[in-house]
Amino acid sequence: MAVKIEEKNNLTVCYIDGEIDINTSPDIKKAFEKLIAKKVPKIVINLAKVTYVDSSGLATLVEILKNMRTYGGRMRLTNMAHKIKSLFEITKLEKLFEIIEDEAEAITTFI
Amino acid sequence: MDTEKEVIISARNVVKKFGERAVLNGITLDIYRGETFVIMGGSGCGKSTFLRHLIGALKPDSGKVSVLGKDLSGLDEDALDAVKKKIGMCFQSAALFDSMTVGENVSLPLREHTKLDRSVIDIVVKMKLEMVGLRGFEDLMPSQLSGGMRKRVGLARAIVMDPEIIFYDEPTAGLDPIVAGVIDKLILDLSKKLSITSVVVTHDMKSVFSIADRVAMLYEGRVLEVGESDTVKNSKNPMVRQFIAGSPDGPIKFFQQKDDYLEQLIK
Amino acid sequence: MKNLIEKIGAVVLITGRHIVSVSALLFETIYWILAGPFKKKMPKPEGTFSQMVFAGFDSLIIVSFVAFFTGIVIAMQSAYQLARFGANIYVAPMVSIGIARELGPVLTALVVAGRVGAAIAAELGTMKVTEQIEALETMAFNPVRYLVVPRFLALLIMLPCLTIFADILGILGGFLVGVFQLGLNPHRYITFSFQFMLFKDFWTGIVKSACFGIIISMIGCYMGLNTKGGAEGVGKSTTLSVVTSFILIILFDVILTGVFYFANK
Repeated sequence: MAVKIEEKNNLTVCYIDGEIDINTSPDIKKAFEKLIAKKVPKIVINLAKVTYVDSSGLATLVEILKNMRTYGGRMRLTNMAHKIKSLFEITKLEKLFEIIEDEAEAITTFI
Repeated sequence: MDTEKEVIISARNVVKKFGERAVLNGITLDIYRGETFVIMGGSGCGKSTFLRHLIGALKPDSGKVSVLGKDLSGLDEDALDAVKKKIGMCFQSAALFDSMTVGENVSLPLREHTKLDRSVIDIVVKMKLEMVGLRGFEDLMPSQLSGGMRKRVGLARAIVMDPEIIFYDEPTAGLDPIVAGVIDKLILDLSKKLSITSVVVTHDMKSVFSIADRVAMLYEGRVLEVGESDTVKNSKNPMVRQFIAGSPDGPIKFFQQKDDYLEQLIK
Repeated sequence: MKNLIEKIGAVVLITGRHIVSVSALLFETIYWILAGPFKKKMPKPEGTFSQMVFAGFDSLIIVSFVAFFTGIVIAMQSAYQLARFGANIYVAPMVSIGIARELGPVLTALVVAGRVGAAIAAELGTMKVTEQIEALETMAFNPVRYLVVPRFLALLIMLPCLTIFADILGILGGFLVGVFQLGLNPHRYITFSFQFMLFKDFWTGIVKSACFGIIISMIGCYMGLNTKGGAEGVGKSTTLSVVTSFILIILFDVILTGVFYFANK
């Protein structure tokens, strides 16, 4: 698992590579804690290279969103594989997150 | 149905004796990934004992049990623990820890086995309790819950580590028909939505045919019949037919006395 | 006659088997205490802490009660005999040495065996018959590491602490009798109490109590984990754990007292 953080159009875009599961979730949370400490207002997370997400991974994303909302920050998830998107639907989390098909679209429409 | 099915659990000629009495007389079964497999049979047919072999709680006297591709009897404690973390088990009595709240019960494996933060664990617990319809019950003690609710908490605890296989021991025993139906629906939901393999031990005929993809019937420690749910339902085997119909008369005898009753009275 | 021998033989065999099993449990417990930290598999310290509160702090009142009145009784009993020799002041060392060497550790252990040992057997026994132990195992928790180790550590640490407390209260009980009943000078009483008492009298008592702590926790856990047969089985295990602990405490008291007595020569 790896997290790559880039700046694009005054936005923070994060690329996660690999699995988000019980073993990697604590590291992902740590990576985002730095951004949250800086109160980054808008984050786009590109999940194109994520092959698997388990419950702890979902919970970690919820926790990051929760922490961002304390200072009015917003998060968008993009490029989700079909399998992972259906996981968000089963767990009824698709309404909690802003899920956008494509990264470019998410960036240009992120106002 | 897929043409190529991956075997996730395999039992080969499993024999188990308690003292002189043979409980399992050579059971051979394959269970495939993603299916709901029901093991049925009368009391004392060895189905619970067989289940204990699949979760690594008992070791066979001879024969082999493989779960997730690993031969259980050949594993050391650490390797066995690694397999155990990938399976979940729902007990007949729910087996909740009395000294812990519902939330603590569900979160225990996460708290002890992972490095997740408390806040993340709390979210996972909420998600799992939502799946079994018990969100908001985190702070109750198990003694404050009804039987059906306890079973659902047990189910939430069994799936908290995202297992690949869930085992159910008599999930509907002792529940009223509506609650039993709710549990059956939960089992179906979990296995279909999350594509978890489910292995259910039961003698509740109503739930067998509403949840099972495939069914095995055990009798006196042997596999009497195994096959697709409908095949077993329309089986020609008189023993299977008697069991499904629940009739007292048939090849399976419940009264087996050696002495003559009248002779014993006047002896 | 033959029947009797058979019965005795059977009892010896069963007892032998139990001794082997309890020793195995003790070794496994010590293994987890020593190896646990290296395998990163220690249970969270909260478990041990709450057991220490239950075994130690919650036993304070009953232990104090027993120790205090025992001190009073010993003082009066010894005064009854010593008065004939006009040696009333020797009540002081009799109480302090008797309590520290013998009665403090033994009575505290008996009280704790009845209160904590029984509770351990009942709790683990209930967990066993309601499949909770099996549930722990299927969740990849070793019951010895997770349930026995915290109880073992709690009693190993708290029983000596309780014994020190009992020693102090026992001596206080004797002191009150000496001063108010026998009219002894308080300062002289205290001086006499500790003048004749060797440091050895104190630490042998503490060593004893640590051994008793091991006995109580091991027997309680063993009986609990081997419970069979529903609510009745839990009752049986609880009774058996108290009776067995009592017998073993007295037995080991004799052995340890003998060892300390002869080692001195």
